[in-house]
Amino acid sequence: MSFFEIALRNILRRRLRTILTLGGVAVGIAAFVALVGFSRSFEHEWLRIYESAGIDIAVVQKTFIETSVDQSAAEKLRALPDVASAVPMILNMMDLTPEVNALVYGFPLDSADMSALTVLQGRRFREGAPEVMLGEVLADNLNKKVGDTLDIEGASFRVVGIFRGGSAFETGAAVLPIAELQKVADLGTKVTAFHVRLKPPAPGESADQHVRKARAEIEAALPGLKAVPAGERARNNQLVVLARSTAWGTSLIALLIGALGIANTMAMSVFERTKEIGVLRALGWRRWRVMKLILIEAAILGFVGGILGLIAGWFGLYILSLLPATANIAYASIPLAHATEALAIAVVIGIAAGFIPALRGARLSPVEALRYE
Amino acid sequence: MSEWLLEARAVTRDYDGGRIQALRGVDLRIRAGEFVAISGPSGSGKSTLLQLLGGLDHATSGEILFKGRSFSNSFDFDAYRSRELGFVFQAFHLLPTLRAVENVQIPMFETGLNARQRREKAAALLEELGLAHRLNQHPNELSAGERQRVAIARSLANDPAVLLADEPTGNLDTGNSAKIMGLLADIQAKRNMTLIVVTHEQEVARGAHREVHIRDGRICE
Repeated sequence: MSFFEIALRNILRRRLRTILTLGGVAVGIAAFVALVGFSRSFEHEWLRIYESAGIDIAVVQKTFIETSVDQSAAEKLRALPDVASAVPMILNMMDLTPEVNALVYGFPLDSADMSALTVLQGRRFREGAPEVMLGEVLADNLNKKVGDTLDIEGASFRVVGIFRGGSAFETGAAVLPIAELQKVADLGTKVTAFHVRLKPPAPGESADQHVRKARAEIEAALPGLKAVPAGERARNNQLVVLARSTAWGTSLIALLIGALGIANTMAMSVFERTKEIGVLRALGWRRWRVMKLILIEAAILGFVGGILGLIAGWFGLYILSLLPATANIAYASIPLAHATEALAIAVVIGIAAGFIPALRGARLSPVEALRYE
Repeated sequence: MSEWLLEARAVTRDYDGGRIQALRGVDLRIRAGEFVAISGPSGSGKSTLLQLLGGLDHATSGEILFKGRSFSNSFDFDAYRSRELGFVFQAFHLLPTLRAVENVQIPMFETGLNARQRREKAAALLEELGLAHRLNQHPNELSAGERQRVAIARSLANDPAVLLADEPTGNLDTGNSAKIMGLLADIQAKRNMTLIVVTHEQEVARGAHREVHIRDGRICE
């Protein structure tokens, strides 16, 4: 008989209570897996926007949503030795109908961002024409097809193409010629960002060194602007940060409830086993061994609850991957790192929640515990 | 080295801020290999004395020594209880989730034995006590006499120097009481252990080498 077996038998002693406790932990971990997993997919989709267009660095003023960089900075950027291309872009959130609010991109026709879009129907827009291309999901939502018109901020645009984007966001977005979007959104010559592609690194220079050097070069040439590598940009995007915070916040509340369940179960268990703990102490078990037994029980609850939570979380992601609104972002898979993280959180929560009951158990005086009725 | 294995010197134990005096200046000396019965009526303080000798409780004043070492703050009570003592309780106190052979292994977790060694030793002890056929029974599947024999096997798990038995026959019928006391006496003789039995039954006390009678917290041998 191992120490682990003793702990396991103690947990199985009150099966219904154990099942309810595991349920609480499982809900917490499932929420974590599904929500944080979903927010990571969201972040991944942002990264794909850059990756699909081969963008190395985005040059912005402050935040991603702010359209406040003057387009004239493009010339200075293009003149820098490590910059291969610098293309302006606009990203706006706009009401396309009273019901549909969507991302609207402004790209130059000859940009890498445009090249990354796959036209499914129709054609690309022409520069200077009041034309719009719709992502396939947005076209469905708006019930528009090639040849229809779409009113944006009071101006009429002809739908000339339906496309599939490099990421789920583009697929749910509209794309206009950048000058048309500046006009309709009253932006003057302002843009949201410049998407910069770098020249290949010099021999012996790593990709990271190359990007670091280019960042410094850009920020020195254009004071007041920020050069952000694509990966970092995806992570720090305001929408991603918001989604991540919401996911973590919600998960933490669910995890806290799970932890309280374990704490309650372990406290009850220690209370019920007061006399037994007294016997263990009388037979020479040291305080830390009693504590270890109770903590192992709590950790088992956390671990098993975590496994159940992973299964439930995967099921949640599977449902999200089937729903039209989220199908493009959610994946019914849990990366190993995320699963490991969830299990580690479950076990740590178990141990943390069991700590005070374990301490109480370990501190019991053997003679008082033996007298306990 | 003291000639006494266990000594109590002017030991008192008060409860409730001194309102209850369970022991009043108890002096007791016990040699290695002795079988001592501590007898007395209910509430006389005999179990309190046993708990103090077993390091489960602390004296209000006076001193207790084991092999000449005082029960001071630096005394390792856990090691004392696990290595030097075996406890037998009136209510057996077996863990209900564990089988007989597993209950016997409980004190062995404080030793360096591995799982296989623990199991073999526990099985051998139960065999010695006539329970070879009951190794895998849970306590609720055993008779009262069998449970007490499992508890005795558990008390012997770490080959202690002293066996402390608190009313070991208190929950048994007359037949089983005689068997259990016979068993304890045999074990004491065979292993040359010190056996201290607390009892209120004269029949039980009569089998000991020495009877220490306690009344109102004082020894009247």
